[in-house]
Amino acid sequence: MSNLPPMLSLRDFSVSFDTARGPLYAVRNVDIDVADGESLGIVGESGSGKTVLSRGAMGLLPKRVAHRSGTVVYDDHDLSQAPRKELREYWGTGMAMIFQDPMTALNPVRKIGSQLTEGLRIRLQMSKTDAAARGIELLNRVRIPDPAAVMEKYPFQLSGGMRQRVMIAIALACRPRLLFADEPTTALDVTVQAQVMQLLSELRHEMGMSMVIVTHDLGVVAGHTDRIAVMYAGEVVEIAPTKQLFANMQMPYTEALMKSIPRLDTPSGQRLPVISGRLPDPTQPETGCSFASRCPYVTDKCRAEAPPLVEVSPGHSYRCWFPIGGSR
Amino acid sequence: MAGSGKAHLRNSEEIILRVEDLTMEFPAGGKKFVRAVSGISFDIERGETLAIVGESGCGKSTLGKAILQLPKPTSGSVNFQGQELTTLNKDALRDIRPAMQMIFQDPVSSLDPRLSVAKIVDEPLKIWDRGDEMWRSNKVDELLNAVGLDPALVRDRRSYEFSGGQCQRISIARSLALEPLLLICDEPVSALDVSVQAQILNLLQDMKERYGLTLIFISHDLAVVKAVSTRIMVMYLGKVCEISAPDELYSRPRHHYTHALVSSVPIPDPNVAARRTTLEGEPPSPMDPPSGCRFRTRCPGATDLCAQEEPQLHEVSAGHYVACHWPRP
Amino acid sequence: MKLGNVKSLRKYSIPTLLSMGWLAIIGLIAVLYPLISSSDPKATYENDIAVGPFTNGHLFGTDTNGYDIFQELLHGTRLTLLVAVVAVGVGGAIGSLIGIFSGYVRGKIDAVVNVVFSAILSIPNLVLALGLVAVLATAPDVNSTVSSWRQVFVVVLSLTIVIIPILGRIARGATLSWSNREFVTAAKSMGAKNSTILWKHIVPNVLPAVMAIAFLAVGVVIVAEGSLSLLGVGIPDGNSWGAVLAAGRNDMEYTPHVMYFPIICIALTVISCNQIGDVIRQSLDKREARI
Ligand SMILES: Nc1ncnc2c1ncn2[C@@H]1O[C@H](COP(=O)(O)OP(=O)(O)OP(=O)(O)O)[C@@H](O)[C@H]1O
Ligand SMILES: Nc1ncnc2c1ncn2[C@@H]1O[C@H](COP(=O)(O)OP(=O)(O)OP(=O)(O)O)[C@@H](O)[C@H]1O
Ligand code: SF4
Ligand code: SF4
Ligand SMILES: [Mg+2]
Ligand SMILES: [Mg+2]
Repeated sequence: MSNLPPMLSLRDFSVSFDTARGPLYAVRNVDIDVADGESLGIVGESGSGKTVLSRGAMGLLPKRVAHRSGTVVYDDHDLSQAPRKELREYWGTGMAMIFQDPMTALNPVRKIGSQLTEGLRIRLQMSKTDAAARGIELLNRVRIPDPAAVMEKYPFQLSGGMRQRVMIAIALACRPRLLFADEPTTALDVTVQAQVMQLLSELRHEMGMSMVIVTHDLGVVAGHTDRIAVMYAGEVVEIAPTKQLFANMQMPYTEALMKSIPRLDTPSGQRLPVISGRLPDPTQPETGCSFASRCPYVTDKCRAEAPPLVEVSPGHSYRCWFPIGGSR
Repeated sequence: MAGSGKAHLRNSEEIILRVEDLTMEFPAGGKKFVRAVSGISFDIERGETLAIVGESGCGKSTLGKAILQLPKPTSGSVNFQGQELTTLNKDALRDIRPAMQMIFQDPVSSLDPRLSVAKIVDEPLKIWDRGDEMWRSNKVDELLNAVGLDPALVRDRRSYEFSGGQCQRISIARSLALEPLLLICDEPVSALDVSVQAQILNLLQDMKERYGLTLIFISHDLAVVKAVSTRIMVMYLGKVCEISAPDELYSRPRHHYTHALVSSVPIPDPNVAARRTTLEGEPPSPMDPPSGCRFRTRCPGATDLCAQEEPQLHEVSAGHYVACHWPRP
Repeated sequence: MKLGNVKSLRKYSIPTLLSMGWLAIIGLIAVLYPLISSSDPKATYENDIAVGPFTNGHLFGTDTNGYDIFQELLHGTRLTLLVAVVAVGVGGAIGSLIGIFSGYVRGKIDAVVNVVFSAILSIPNLVLALGLVAVLATAPDVNSTVSSWRQVFVVVLSLTIVIIPILGRIARGATLSWSNREFVTAAKSMGAKNSTILWKHIVPNVLPAVMAIAFLAVGVVIVAEGSLSLLGVGIPDGNSWGAVLAAGRNDMEYTPHVMYFPIICIALTVISCNQIGDVIRQSLDKREARI
């Protein structure tokens, strides 16, 4: 990685929500840097805080119930305390987000065309015809058939995958410098998925866009990221360059995650391996390691004391007292 | 008939659902129509899991909803347990509904944001007046537990407080509440990480064993599909391309589209370079599909015959049907 | 939006709190008027004709008839708010009913409703209200005068009709949007009846949107009522803020304060309603965007 200041830098970043049962700690003490042009993957169990982390970094959380702490530095601007008005300056052209649930993120009563060209017209001051032409081009690039007709449709008239690609087109419309892609390909079949990931990679190289890909598809992260952060119960439990992580994982949760990937070469009809148990209650933070209740290697020390983030090799850190490959 | 043939339909006592020549059109402005599902036929035996895979926008969700008559299909027949659904009146159809349930594709928008999780899962039970308050409440807890959510923690929260995957699990819990005979799962695990995904797939497997549940499993994740299904149907642009048992389909895809699909599965290993897409060309518009074989504009093996004549499904080996003039070896 | 305990008030901004405060005050005045005011608003103070504010115990001064403006305004609060609340309440209820129904069934009925709403909305509110008052208030017998209660009724009815398409259209739009959501399809697939879906899923989701606009509509009605009074067809005899304003209009050169105070009351109320409407709408937007 270069010595340039990172595009995005999170330090001791935490998010909690006010709930009826007290504060819910969704993201806890995360330190992450995303370099210029880098692609960072975030993987982790459903509910582990991946979406909250990316929304929080962008400043897209409900102010009334969500509390952020720590610092967020985007391109040398400290956004931790910035008011909405200032953040809005960065949204779209600076940072953009592909939302996880396209149906709720799209306005159900506005045509695709008007939602897609809104940013172009407001942020880039394009004329109506230019914006429409660019909108069609964008839809074309995300492989939507018959883009001109789709511009005139409403979200409910599209298939799930088409809506997702419309979301992607909207996020890319203003050529952001940092893209948060929250599960960008969940509704896409493998051929379209490959094309969309290809498109994102191209844009990354063309315009030096940085990217944070949140996904549970380890096939996607394997092929399209430089580094991967594994999240568990709101914490980053392991972070490493992609190849390093696959070859030399340290944290038992990462191992368990990798083991439960269904693969094409396993015969059909077999039971899939699972990680038994479930995420700890996020309103009751653990004293020890957050994975302790499900870890096959757990000891008393794990329950008593939370393991710190330690670095094994440059850029590869993990949280665990008894890492895989270490002496147990 | 421009359909893809019916050679693959079986004649068995055990058939729970038989769909014939199902077509679904949506108005697309002016006099034009989008034919999202175009003359599809298939059947399912009790206890089977039929997976439906295909390109995004090829009509999988539309097919799933058309089976449930949401809305009624434009033409064709849907026969569920010997009853023709397309001609049933409103009340009779309503009586059948508990037996057929669906997990909808977009988990977040399939949950009412104003209702608590307990109310959401309870809704089908309440509609059908199952048990008393106490019984229903226990049932809701049982269902939430089954999908890996802690009832005590989630019951009183609303859907917008949950992550995408948690919403999906709530929606799965709801669909199992009525203990249906046929469950149509539209991308049931797409928003879930692999470990929870495995948990849900195992749960569906258990439900199958316990209640003799029959599943239609719509998904684009071929690895998942392989793990759960007993038969796979591949669709392209509103039509069936190929039907076969999973192992055979993956080891020897005969249709050119299936082949492209199987070979673009990303491999979870960074040392295997991300393979370039194997499917070239623009996806055609569903308003104006290509003549003959709909895949011909992107098929490496296309000939003149493919443009002129629509291929019909025919058996290439036992239980393996393909709609292609020039199937792959 | 529960206003239950004091702690929950803390999350509102100062303008919002001030707005709530103002609306609470005038609300109380309207309800408790007979208890808090013993003096007759129509008492003439012969010694203090057309005096300015803060003179001889006349807080807001008096007009050229010798009426105490403060007393008149206190008295007028009741009818002003009554007109606004009834017009918005009844108009909103009817409008929502039409809007929700037509948005849910769609098809031809909806197309007709939409055209009618749009046609009515294309007429400026005041022009429409004036027209309606003109038609409705025509006494059947040219010689009999329209009684003052009937006049109030006519104003309320006209403003109600003005409100129906405003809120009706909001309800219809929200219904169209919500009924496209997958949870409605899901409810259908479980076998829920249309009435259940409407009642359980559509109405609770649509109402907050209507509520937000209803607050704005209260402002619209108060202004419209004032304008009607100014034009001489509103509430008679200085019984509402608009009517006080209208009464002061002729002597604007001598007693401008007679116009200032009703204008201030109307303006504060309209601004407060807008503020609260905005807060409701923002909280809705947030929830909907899951932001
Ligand atoms: N608005 C909210 N109010 C309260 N809790 C919330 C809210 N949004 C998220 N949470 C909680 O924060 C935690 C993390 O949620 P998040 O959406 O980040 O998960 P995720 O990692 O993106 O999962 P998935 O893969 O399922 O999308 C969850 O326990 C969720 O219930
Ligand atoms: N209500 C509707 N009105 C008009 N067109 C529709 C409607 N619903 C679906 N379509 C069209 O039908 C086609 C098939 O949509 P469908 O949702 O069935 O696709 P899908 O196979 O489920 O795709 P995905 O994998 O992306 O979810 C699409 O071209 C879509 O635009
Ligand atoms: S610290 Fe202990 S419980 Fe936690 S992951 Fe490591 S071995 Fe397991
Ligand atoms: S019928 Fe022709 S175009 Fe269609 S898949 Fe077969 S070879 Fe390709
Ligand atoms: Mg998420
Ligand atoms: Mg779909």
